[in-house]
Amino acid sequence: MSTPLQVYEPFKAGLPPLVRYWKSLWSRRRFISEYSRSELREQHFDSVFGQLWLVLNPLLLSAVYYLLIIIIGGASDALRYAHLTATLFLFYLVANSLTGGVKSITAGQRLILNTAFPRIMLPISAVVIAVFKFLPTLVIFFIIRSVLGLPYSWQMLWALPILLITIILALGLAITISCINVYFRDIASFLPYLTRTLLYLSPILYEASALKPALRSLQVLNPLFPILESWSQALVHGQAPQGSNLLAALAWAIGVFLIGTYFFLSREREFAVRL
Amino acid sequence: MNLPSASSPHKTKEIAVCVRALGLTYTTAIDRRPTLKARVKSLGRGSKQTRVIRALDNVDLDVEYGQVLGVIGANGAGKSSMMRVIAGIIPPSQGRIEVFGSVSTLLALGVGFNPSMSGRDNVFLGGLAAGMSRDEIADHFQEITEFSELGEAIDAPMRTYSSGMFSRLAFSVAATVRPDILIVDEALSTGDAKFKEKSLNRIKELRSDDRALILVSHAMATLRDVCNDVAWLHKGKLVQRGAPDATINAYQEFLQLGKSAAIDEDV
Repeated sequence: MSTPLQVYEPFKAGLPPLVRYWKSLWSRRRFISEYSRSELREQHFDSVFGQLWLVLNPLLLSAVYYLLIIIIGGASDALRYAHLTATLFLFYLVANSLTGGVKSITAGQRLILNTAFPRIMLPISAVVIAVFKFLPTLVIFFIIRSVLGLPYSWQMLWALPILLITIILALGLAITISCINVYFRDIASFLPYLTRTLLYLSPILYEASALKPALRSLQVLNPLFPILESWSQALVHGQAPQGSNLLAALAWAIGVFLIGTYFFLSREREFAVRL
Repeated sequence: MNLPSASSPHKTKEIAVCVRALGLTYTTAIDRRPTLKARVKSLGRGSKQTRVIRALDNVDLDVEYGQVLGVIGANGAGKSSMMRVIAGIIPPSQGRIEVFGSVSTLLALGVGFNPSMSGRDNVFLGGLAAGMSRDEIADHFQEITEFSELGEAIDAPMRTYSSGMFSRLAFSVAATVRPDILIVDEALSTGDAKFKEKSLNRIKELRSDDRALILVSHAMATLRDVCNDVAWLHKGKLVQRGAPDATINAYQEFLQLGKSAAIDEDV
């Protein structure tokens, strides 16, 4: 008798065979991209005005926050505006991953109940969507930057590893929160307050260097703090980011990703009966 | 997981699915929407948030290649649960399932479809969801559209489709997958009489010596026609397994319905 292709047995809490899981996930990469594309299209981002809105929305947001900075009396020069747009756009990459990820499992009910596939695909495609929404805003940032006449430098290439770290963090957060939402469905309504708080706790409306030393000690609790500070240093000021910031960001991102993924993978086989 | 493969052909009588002492108990939330708020409110009151449902109890079942197994039983007998366990969607609570081949499921139609996309895009989306590769779908695209009889509507967004058109396209996509083991759960009653017959014929085409088919249905006449083996589940237990006529007769006697029209019609 030949060996079975699949064996299903009662599962103990713990991870499924990771190599097989990864192969199965990798073989579905086309589905992830196609699924994300259809979600984007559902939100009308394939039309001219949809894409225009994708760019207009962050632009208007940055204008509103800039107005806020002027009114509460912060420095309001070109550098400040560039800092605001750069960090705000990156922040929205993470925020969009969270808002897209939180309902990815519960909204994928039909898929989950009727096909066997690695469930982690769903929060991953939420992050893919967030990245697709982020890319045009990056172009806008570079236009703003050129208009403001900020000098370019090679140090700006530091933005690439920082972006990578951000995406790992966004994946970790999306995976974690999508799993939590299966058990506590009200997390989704609590989420806007969470992201809003994160927005104010992160160096977006202010520069990290302007923060009081007493408050700066709290930054270790915010994974976005070192990321956004480094991002602004690289992209806006054209300086190399501090090594300690990069390390802290990387540690946060990998930590959240690993813990979230472990939590998700050890739970995902039970999603079908929990939905 | 259930990828279609151009795998080596399986021989008749070779084992396809081996189910041993299968038990399945769910723990589901009592609330439709379990919330943190509800959990906090009930802290200390000791009220339970979940309840346990026994869906399958000590089921042994072997399916061989070349077999077309019909699964019958009243509502809530655990038919769909068993199909999901065999497909790997729900892990079993007790027992062991061995699957010797690629499994494809047709548990519901239009899984993975996105109504705002065109029929053409959804063929790819649904096909990818079913585990096909993009090239495979492209190869079969012509066949799918012809089978669905949609004509030019294939390029219109699916939300403009009638429900019949929707399920015709969904069935056409699903019927293109060529797995070693195909599980069909009451997904055949789609479209008008003509299309129903067409889809039944497609299922008959899929019967072959190197494939195992498992059909869940309430349409007894169809099962008598298509299957060469029938299993009857009741309240999570396997009651009878054997030749279609004998098993279905026993089931109908049990239901005290006899050969009435209500369970003979429909696919």
